[in-house]
Amino acid sequence: MSQSTGQFGATSLKSSPLKSPRISPAFFAWLLVAPALLFILVIVAWPLLETFRLSFTNARLGGESYVGLENYEKLLEKRKFHQTIYRTFYWMFLSVSLKLILGLIGASLLNAAVPGKALFRVLVMPPWVIPIAIGCIGWLWLYNGYFGILSGTAQWLGLIDGPFEFLAHKKSAFYSAVVTDVWVGTPMVTLFFLAAMQGVSRDLYEAAWVDGAGRWYRFRRITIPQIMPVIVSMMLLSAIWTFNSFEVIWILTEGGPRSASTTLIIDTYKTAIGNYKFGEGAARAVIIVILLSIFSLIYLFFLNKVNKIYGSK
Amino acid sequence: MKNLKTLTLTAALALGASGPLYAEKLHFIMCGGEIRDADQSVVDAFEAKHDGVSVNIEAIPWGTCQDKSLTLAAAGDPPSVAYMGSRTLRQLANNNLIVPAEISQDTISAYQPGILNTVTVKGTRWGYPRAFSTKALFINCDLAEAAGAECKAPKTWDDMYALAKAINDNTDAAGVGIAGKDFDNTMHQFLNYLYSNGGVVIDPQTGENKLDSSNTRETLAFYKKLVSVAQEGPTAWERSQLKDLYNDGKIGMYIDGPWGRGQHKEGMNEITVPVPAGPNGDNGTILITDSIAVFKGSGHEEFAHELAGMLTTGQSQYALDTEWGLTPIFDYEKLGFDAPYYKGDAYWQVFVNGIGAGGPEPLVEDFKSLQSVFTNMIQGVILDDDTVDNLVTIAGEELDEAL
Repeated sequence: MSQSTGQFGATSLKSSPLKSPRISPAFFAWLLVAPALLFILVIVAWPLLETFRLSFTNARLGGESYVGLENYEKLLEKRKFHQTIYRTFYWMFLSVSLKLILGLIGASLLNAAVPGKALFRVLVMPPWVIPIAIGCIGWLWLYNGYFGILSGTAQWLGLIDGPFEFLAHKKSAFYSAVVTDVWVGTPMVTLFFLAAMQGVSRDLYEAAWVDGAGRWYRFRRITIPQIMPVIVSMMLLSAIWTFNSFEVIWILTEGGPRSASTTLIIDTYKTAIGNYKFGEGAARAVIIVILLSIFSLIYLFFLNKVNKIYGSK
Repeated sequence: MKNLKTLTLTAALALGASGPLYAEKLHFIMCGGEIRDADQSVVDAFEAKHDGVSVNIEAIPWGTCQDKSLTLAAAGDPPSVAYMGSRTLRQLANNNLIVPAEISQDTISAYQPGILNTVTVKGTRWGYPRAFSTKALFINCDLAEAAGAECKAPKTWDDMYALAKAINDNTDAAGVGIAGKDFDNTMHQFLNYLYSNGGVVIDPQTGENKLDSSNTRETLAFYKKLVSVAQEGPTAWERSQLKDLYNDGKIGMYIDGPWGRGQHKEGMNEITVPVPAGPNGDNGTILITDSIAVFKGSGHEEFAHELAGMLTTGQSQYALDTEWGLTPIFDYEKLGFDAPYYKGDAYWQVFVNGIGAGGPEPLVEDFKSLQSVFTNMIQGVILDDDTVDNLVTIAGEELDEAL
């Protein structure tokens, strides 16, 4: 075995392109990177450029022609579109905040020395493990005013007089979608936080305990600072996923009623795929890319600050 | 002997390999999510008639089916034929994605009045009408009587509201079921009322937008009134879901097609009556058809036309209409049927009599935008977002853009 390995090693060294006078090390490096680069160009760059190009056309089922900035001008003039942008950020802010808060609480509980915590760790997984579509269909039933358990329980408790359709009213439809999105997204945040908490040195807690620090003080001054880089990372990832969250809203409300739960991604889908206005849909997609890029830059700025303060590399 | 075996094996392999070379496979998209017996039996007969030709039927639910057919066609991979709502035909035709239907003269003369208009754009017929429906009002008499009202056909909107209010106020049920979800039948249901009030969406002669009218305002105002005696949260309900509420005795009445009776609880004490007349109209209904479209560029247009023709003529069409409880698409007596299923049946007369006074589902290029105009207006009044006047004015302007 060792002999053959040695032979192979000798052969490959002799014929290595690095040794060949005709191929420079830099070119060889590019050769190695080329497949991945090609893959990214085809899968990411080309669709992005094509979307950008389409956004300057009136592309529809029957063909396309160049319209310059018309699609963008139309969007900027539309009050509905401004409302959609505002709603998208509000949706993102609410959902991400709740996921982070619940994730932090959940991770702290799962990290605590309580009996049966292994079972709780398993029980926290289903919302994440169940396919989103299946979970959302379950929530559809829960929110149903006549056959759903939420309205039924509220009536039984005397909180409401008759059935209440959670998805039929503008505000309740929006907040119901937020609740479901939080249900779907919280387990992952919880598990990331839990992993980070388990990496915090026990010595820090013991030293603080010896100095008389209480639970809350230790959580505030040890746990949170130690896992801060993970919190910030999760904040960005969760924000991007929530910003682009499609399935939950689509299955529950399709963006309704009267656009009350329409976010940018739903609006883009309805325009481009639902109404076959590919050009106008592409303009919306470009705006999403721009908004998320700005958001990511702000995040990177803060991440650097956090890393400087808390010493993470 | 060995040579003979080798030769036989080679011949068998060659035949096996040559089979697929000559085989033709038609892709048949069937909107509605299921393959009906009446369709399957015609497809079986078609396959038996043409050796080497097979039909792959793909059943897709209504919600996504039309999008899929259009997207496949636009992407250059069209299905051979698709059974879909006739409202999509104009968009498909204007984008050169389908070919005109080849309906025989005998068949043309047997269609019920107005049917061919639902598939005709600028004089050309783009689809083979396959399923047809008119609508009527179903009333739960047990609830009406429990509310102390007489269970009889309301003649006018005022009569209908009075009955719905009585049920709403005197029983645990809501007076009426209204569809208000972001779905096509929200628009369809509204058009039943609009046509019962002499309203028009698009002028059939000039193609002009006529939505912004006093008839529409009156209809929307009536909707607003109905909402006060309707089930909780109409914007979460589409028509096909209302039958569940109706079966459970949670709504006193709702509008549905002739298939409704077969979906209601057996032995239900109910009456089926025409949609009541508005202040400026007569009993009306929307005339809706689903059609079979033959797509361009599938490579088997000839076979596709033949299959569409087989599906939509004589006995096979009669089989579907009876099996699914559809309003008769043909005047079957003209086709030689002596005692068609609807003849002399009071239930069916409600649906058949409505044909002459019915209005079409508007055939526009961008049917999704049309649907959105109506949904926005109807949800606006259900959610009390704006005044009836403003909502109709906005809808009129939006329809101008959509046209």
